[in-house]
Amino acid sequence: MASATGTVRHPKGPAEPPTGPDAAAFLKALLDSSVGAKALIGLTGVGLVLFVISHMIGNLKIFQGPDAINGYAYFLKHDIGSLLWVARAGLLLIFVLHLALAIRLKLRSAAARPVAYAHPGSVQATVASRTMIWTGVVILLFTLFHLAHYTFAWVKGAHVPDPATGQLVYKNYLDLVDHKGRHDVYEMMVAGFSNGYIVVLYLVSQVFLFVHLRHGIPSVFQTLGLKNARFHGPIDILGLVLALLILIGNSAIVVAVQLGWVQSQYKTP
Amino acid sequence: MKLTLHVWRQKNRTDPGKIVTYPLDGVSPDMSFLEMMDVLNEQLIKAGEDPVAFDQDCREGICGSCDMMINGLAHGPERATTTCQLHMRSFRDGDQIYVEPWRARAFPVIKDLCVDRTAFDRIIQARGFVSVNTGGAPDGNTLPIPKTVQEVAMDAAECIGCGACVAACPNASAMLFLSAKVSHLGRLPQGATERHERVRKMVEQHDREGFGHCTNINECEAACPKEISVEHIAQLNRDFIGSTCSSMVK
Repeated sequence: MASATGTVRHPKGPAEPPTGPDAAAFLKALLDSSVGAKALIGLTGVGLVLFVISHMIGNLKIFQGPDAINGYAYFLKHDIGSLLWVARAGLLLIFVLHLALAIRLKLRSAAARPVAYAHPGSVQATVASRTMIWTGVVILLFTLFHLAHYTFAWVKGAHVPDPATGQLVYKNYLDLVDHKGRHDVYEMMVAGFSNGYIVVLYLVSQVFLFVHLRHGIPSVFQTLGLKNARFHGPIDILGLVLALLILIGNSAIVVAVQLGWVQSQYKTP
Repeated sequence: MKLTLHVWRQKNRTDPGKIVTYPLDGVSPDMSFLEMMDVLNEQLIKAGEDPVAFDQDCREGICGSCDMMINGLAHGPERATTTCQLHMRSFRDGDQIYVEPWRARAFPVIKDLCVDRTAFDRIIQARGFVSVNTGGAPDGNTLPIPKTVQEVAMDAAECIGCGACVAACPNASAMLFLSAKVSHLGRLPQGATERHERVRKMVEQHDREGFGHCTNINECEAACPKEISVEHIAQLNRDFIGSTCSSMVK
């Protein structure tokens, strides 16, 4: 029936629109509150630790010889297809999220104490726990260098024999090719870790990573609420062991090249 | 005992303030820290100076009024001790002692060593309470509560709200205070109704007051005169994540 407004009006008035879950409030609670943002930093941290562990296990294939590591690199770059780009985008996202949230919280906390104590004191805070933001920044800088070094190969190249002439020629890392036509990751790593400065830089960065993870890994359990007094000891030991394993595993590659345990495939004159 | 005190003097909220050094003689090792401050104030009054203002009330370690950063440690060097229960035998003859107020943006200095801690009151007002029906008092033991729950809730309820956790935290975070309240009220059946709302509202208010975030440094646990454990912060995080996720489902 037509009325003045043109539509039939319900005698009890218009129905209220149904209210669903409030996604905006949910995201705000996660990203904006100090507890929610910390939980996200913890979760992204878990993702980054899992990446570091798998990256380390993959790289340790260098001890199995050139064929193993070059085959693994080929598998990652060509056999998993577009999944590689999904993984790279995901990794970039959690890396940026981890950093951005941590820096934002740190800035807020710095503002929370405008006047410092004339006589600072501390009872039980560890050095690792107090320096998380700084060790984190060092790891960021190292990661950028590491990408420039091996992923983009901007830093330096390697001398390898030319297959045609047998003469040593200077080649960019990305142009190194093994006898099966794959990218020669083995030769690239040996060449990369033959430089003294770069070796020191890698080893120092690994120590920073150790310090960061020494506090970070046990801290994740506390932040996600997965810890109580009973599990305090075991979780602390887990953090130490994991951080140490990552330190030893990553440094082993660098040290092995320096000590000559892992050598170039080509005879150097 | 002869002491050299370096005390923070600030006339009012807007005064920049500075550390002033006072030599003090005739302090007995049996005096409490506040009694030592009384001796200093008498000396200042006799000299015609303005005495040092500081918060104090019960002087038996249960009210949470006293707040002094002594040599960079909240409530001084002893564990599980408030400033009023700290005795001068914890110091040595000839010691240099720095006395400062709690430092946090959320705790502005009112005068000398007195800080405005109403930020804590506003956090409690945000949802740090339980709703109970008026009427006759319920019979005892009508609401069974497991022993372990009672004990953990009681441990958290020990918090006297002095603010030492904020003062000791490098980020000036009130997470230990917040978690003590959330854990104390949320675990008991009387407070379970508002458990989900409470944790989010209280964290919101905590952030709005300008406290920092928790970096699991555990300095607060060491400073707390009631030895509230950081376990409660894990409980707070657990409740917050659960509450946020459940708000998505409704």
